[in-house]
Amino acid sequence: MALSGIRRTRRWMPQIPETESSVTTPLTTSNAILLVGHPNVGKSVLFHRLTGAYVNVSNYPGTTVEVTRASARFDREAMLLDTPGVLSLPSRSDDERATMRALLEERTRCLVQVGDAKNLRRTLTLTALLAELGVPMVLALNMHDEAAARGVTVDLPALAKDLGIPVLATVATGGEGVAELIGSLPDACPPQALLRYDGEIEADIARASEIITRLAPHPYLAARGLAILYLGGDPEVTTWLHEHIGANYALLETLREQAARRAEGKLPALLACERTQAADVLTTAVIQRALRSSPLLAQRIGQYVVDPLWGIPILLAMLYLVYQFVGVFGATTLVGLMEEDLFEGILNPAFSDFVNSSVTIPWMAELLVGQYGLWTMGMTYALALILPIVSTFFFAFGVLEDSGYLPRLTVIANRLFALIGLNGRAVLPMVLGLGCVTMATLTTRILHSPRERLITIFLLALAIPCSAQLGVVLGMLGGVSFSAVLIWVLAMIGVLLLSGFLAAKLIPGQRIPLVTELPPMRLPILGNVLKKTGGRLKWYLIEVIPLFLLGTLIMFILDKTGALPGIIRIGEPLVSGWLGLPPEASAAFVMGFLRRDFGATGLFAMAHTLSPIQAVVGMITITLFIPCFASLMMMVKEQGLKVAVAMVAVIVPFAFLVGGLFNIALRAFWS
Amino acid sequence: MSPKHEARLPLAFIPPGKEVRLAAFGDEIDALQREQLTAYGLAEGRPLKVLQQRPMTVILADEVELALEHAVARHIWVEKA
Repeated sequence: MALSGIRRTRRWMPQIPETESSVTTPLTTSNAILLVGHPNVGKSVLFHRLTGAYVNVSNYPGTTVEVTRASARFDREAMLLDTPGVLSLPSRSDDERATMRALLEERTRCLVQVGDAKNLRRTLTLTALLAELGVPMVLALNMHDEAAARGVTVDLPALAKDLGIPVLATVATGGEGVAELIGSLPDACPPQALLRYDGEIEADIARASEIITRLAPHPYLAARGLAILYLGGDPEVTTWLHEHIGANYALLETLREQAARRAEGKLPALLACERTQAADVLTTAVIQRALRSSPLLAQRIGQYVVDPLWGIPILLAMLYLVYQFVGVFGATTLVGLMEEDLFEGILNPAFSDFVNSSVTIPWMAELLVGQYGLWTMGMTYALALILPIVSTFFFAFGVLEDSGYLPRLTVIANRLFALIGLNGRAVLPMVLGLGCVTMATLTTRILHSPRERLITIFLLALAIPCSAQLGVVLGMLGGVSFSAVLIWVLAMIGVLLLSGFLAAKLIPGQRIPLVTELPPMRLPILGNVLKKTGGRLKWYLIEVIPLFLLGTLIMFILDKTGALPGIIRIGEPLVSGWLGLPPEASAAFVMGFLRRDFGATGLFAMAHTLSPIQAVVGMITITLFIPCFASLMMMVKEQGLKVAVAMVAVIVPFAFLVGGLFNIALRAFWS
Repeated sequence: MSPKHEARLPLAFIPPGKEVRLAAFGDEIDALQREQLTAYGLAEGRPLKVLQQRPMTVILADEVELALEHAVARHIWVEKA
């Protein structure tokens, strides 16, 4: 199925079918098969295997932040849903709540719990809760190759017998066990309960179940499962029951309050503890561990990467390689080939000749191939300058993601991020922001608190240049001198730390200490990295080309109507007086309102007329300037209009303030 | 919960390479964090191996590596395996 067949929804709502696959299977009659499980156990890879639809898959927890759906390859009547990973249920985080909503609102045919074979105890702790929902289930123990490498063997028939459901071993990345999994789906059945809770808790569960059965029976989920989730304080189940029970909801609320009082406020922990114990007993019965004398190579590498002594040199080496690949190979070699050889050498002259000879209206020819031409400026910027840079960046990022390096980077970066009120987890959106700030703004959902998300989105918008812009900045300042690049880098880090420090002081709330899983280091699979790069590039181009064309059109209109010289005149005191740039640089800032990299490219185009100080000041200002229109829209989506407007109101004057201060300082100390 | 036994030590103080058993979570760890740690497989009585202590505490619990800030590891009490 094509990528367009995927739809991502935070909340399931009956919608008009919009894709080919969903036309044949309208949601009202769909049979949903839900993939559920812990973060980073391979649900999304399995989803790809079962549907052909590719979603962003990474070797770090929290990649899937929304429910994704697509038609199953093996049964066009079935709709497969990839849910965000749940660390545990009852739900607490946004992604857990999204999964819980899917469980409550979908017409579920069956659940496929995807578990990590080498961590059976944790998998079965979740099974202990899912089993209570009374929905047909299959358990796929994924990554069983990694379990085998660690000497872990699971007695699958015994486990299947104890749970009363099909249990399979899979390696989703290699497609192993997937056919068997598909074959087992018709045999899915509601599992046997793993435990009976302690006396008083069990009585409370029975009472809550009775109320739910009487007042708000769920069409697919068992009342007992809902009762356990409700007593455990699941916010989504609470809302659902409140809405469906109506006036009599107080009965249930009183019951939970009494149960919580009896448990001295630790009811959710008690419930979770009993499930853990039940999972422990079952795990001990079905698992065998061979004694290993030494850790695996992957484990050793993983430890070196976060080692206090080796971690930083490895980080620097990794940054150097990425720079060589993106900054030198992408931004210099490939851009040279595309821009000079292909576009300026062949395509642009040929297209210009064709247009000039066949279009008789002069302004129309100019609109296509003139100074602000849709082809000569818009398409050339987008395809010749930006595409090679983002392609190499997304490829490099994909390799790092799949290798398992990025979660380890959170450990190395944690102390630095503590200075700005965040924890190391924020390094992931920040690094992705070096590729595309818009995409990174969306990825802030992996952060655990609204405060962390707000600070990170602000810093992304202010001081993180996207790869397109980074390429332009490095290309321009690299041509000036190494000192120029260094001043720009230090300015960005200084602004990031200072503004982050101030934001953390001003925005109320507590910093959350980092607790994170470090998935095994793995050798990335080229095909998976290429697919992921392709998916991201498609997303990026769909976003970037229309904006580049719109930006060029606006520049063309401003030029033709004579407004551009007017804007240049109005902006002169600020641009020439305060920043010390040539008056024409105003045009670059107008372009920068559409995309920062578009603006930076505008400055790049006039590089030969700028002094070293002007180049540095111009690049510092345009980097801090508001991000592109698309990421502004994403900010509005994630944080609301008010917050987004407030951020822009801070960022734009701040960019000019810092640029001007650097103009004064550099003129005084750097010549 | 404060340490009631002399042999109990905070996880953050255990040298790398040692295998220990989780004894208790301190009161400083709030209910939500306790649930999160339990979900990661850290429960009372579970064995774990300390892999390193800097820049963060890194442990191996079953076959899962977890990194914890010292602010958390200081309040997890462990005893001899």
